Amino acid sequence: MSLISAVNLTKVYGSGDTAVRALDNVSLQVEPGEFVAVMGPSGCGKSTLLHLLGGLDRPTSGTVTIDGHSLSDLSDARLTELRRHKIGFIFQFFNLIPVLNAVENAALPVTLDGVRQAEAKERATKWLTRFGLGDRLDHRPDQLSGGQQQRVAVARALVADPALILADEPTGNLDTRSSEEIAALLRQVANEWGRSVVVVTHDPRIAAHADRIVFLKDGAIVDQTILEPRDSHNEAVVAEKMMAIGD
Amino acid sequence: MTVRNAILGLLAQQPRHGYELRAAFEALVGGADMWDVKPAQIYTTLARLEEAGLVSRDSVEQDGGPEKLVYSLTPAGHDELAGWFRAGVATEHQRDEFFVKLMVSLYSGEADPYQVIRAQRNRLYQDLHDLTARRNGVDGRRELAQIFLLDKSIMHLEADLRWLDLLEARLDDIRRQPLPQPQVRPRGRPRKS
Repeated sequence: MSLISAVNLTKVYGSGDTAVRALDNVSLQVEPGEFVAVMGPSGCGKSTLLHLLGGLDRPTSGTVTIDGHSLSDLSDARLTELRRHKIGFIFQFFNLIPVLNAVENAALPVTLDGVRQAEAKERATKWLTRFGLGDRLDHRPDQLSGGQQQRVAVARALVADPALILADEPTGNLDTRSSEEIAALLRQVANEWGRSVVVVTHDPRIAAHADRIVFLKDGAIVDQTILEPRDSHNEAVVAEKMMAIGD
Repeated sequence: MTVRNAILGLLAQQPRHGYELRAAFEALVGGADMWDVKPAQIYTTLARLEEAGLVSRDSVEQDGGPEKLVYSLTPAGHDELAGWFRAGVATEHQRDEFFVKLMVSLYSGEADPYQVIRAQRNRLYQDLHDLTARRNGVDGRRELAQIFLLDKSIMHLEADLRWLDLLEARLDDIRRQPLPQPQVRPRGRPRKS
């Protein structure tokens, strides 16, 4: 069963003559452990789609089902609860709290959720260590590079053990090298830890890590690409491609 | 010209036999997978370079074996090499099969140009996916040539994808304009009036 099932999502902002159809009858399924990139020009509805999938906004019509729960059937309180347990969010701006160190920042979602401090910090430490920040645990955001801050933000998104990670331009504020690292990390989150990852991005190099790319234009899905995993025995074919592209 | 100039550079490093040159070239470009140069090409190039006075050839006796031909760089060869290093290299972007395909779709009406762009985008994303996966598996300390070439290919793909976005965005405008028609002049002499 799909982890996310969005059916005929339409979102209209405003009304009458000034109404803007940000999303027009979009349907999308995401499987457990799948990494999906959503691409398209500015104003195509990418972020609107992400907000509807994450229950941050409600559609004008259509339904979103996450792990068997239909979001439209939930009260605001239950929706908030589902968001906290099932979904981790990553944003372009890392949104870390300046006065808290890496562990405290990463532990925050479960601390707010009533998990004991010690356990919350232990979980946060586990993710941060996996992400190569084992020696930066007590650093505050201003003592970390952009790439390191975003890794803390990814750890924070995973600390409540969600099945789904939603990321809105997660590398928009990073240099090329750090962007690659975050993209590879998200790939790992899907592969090794079986989470579904949906990333809104305009960066082809981030999308290149995905299993599938969904292209939006004017609020509708215009195309989808399923990326076949590279066959490691097929090096000669890749070399040929490189030559063809290079010169 | 690339192989020719690489040979000059490799001979500037040290005098070499033909087959040794071939191996050195392949090591330089990151393996035979990257650029498979045939022995015949090496020997023909060496013959031309010798004729032009850029390399010289000596026979060297081997213990118990036939004589070997060893090539080395002449002073004129050194000058040629220095000229190559000083000048920039032109890159070829004009003859692009996809570009021709898109134009044929616009002129002939046999295919939807949007679909042609999307098919190309899908292909480029698959290539980008493959190269990115490969780039992540390459050892940066030992496989320098591979890293350089993979980075180049990845960056070219990025640029091509951006170009496709631009084409798609402009297609609506383009389709409202009449397509330039070829000027077909009658053959032969103009008729006298």
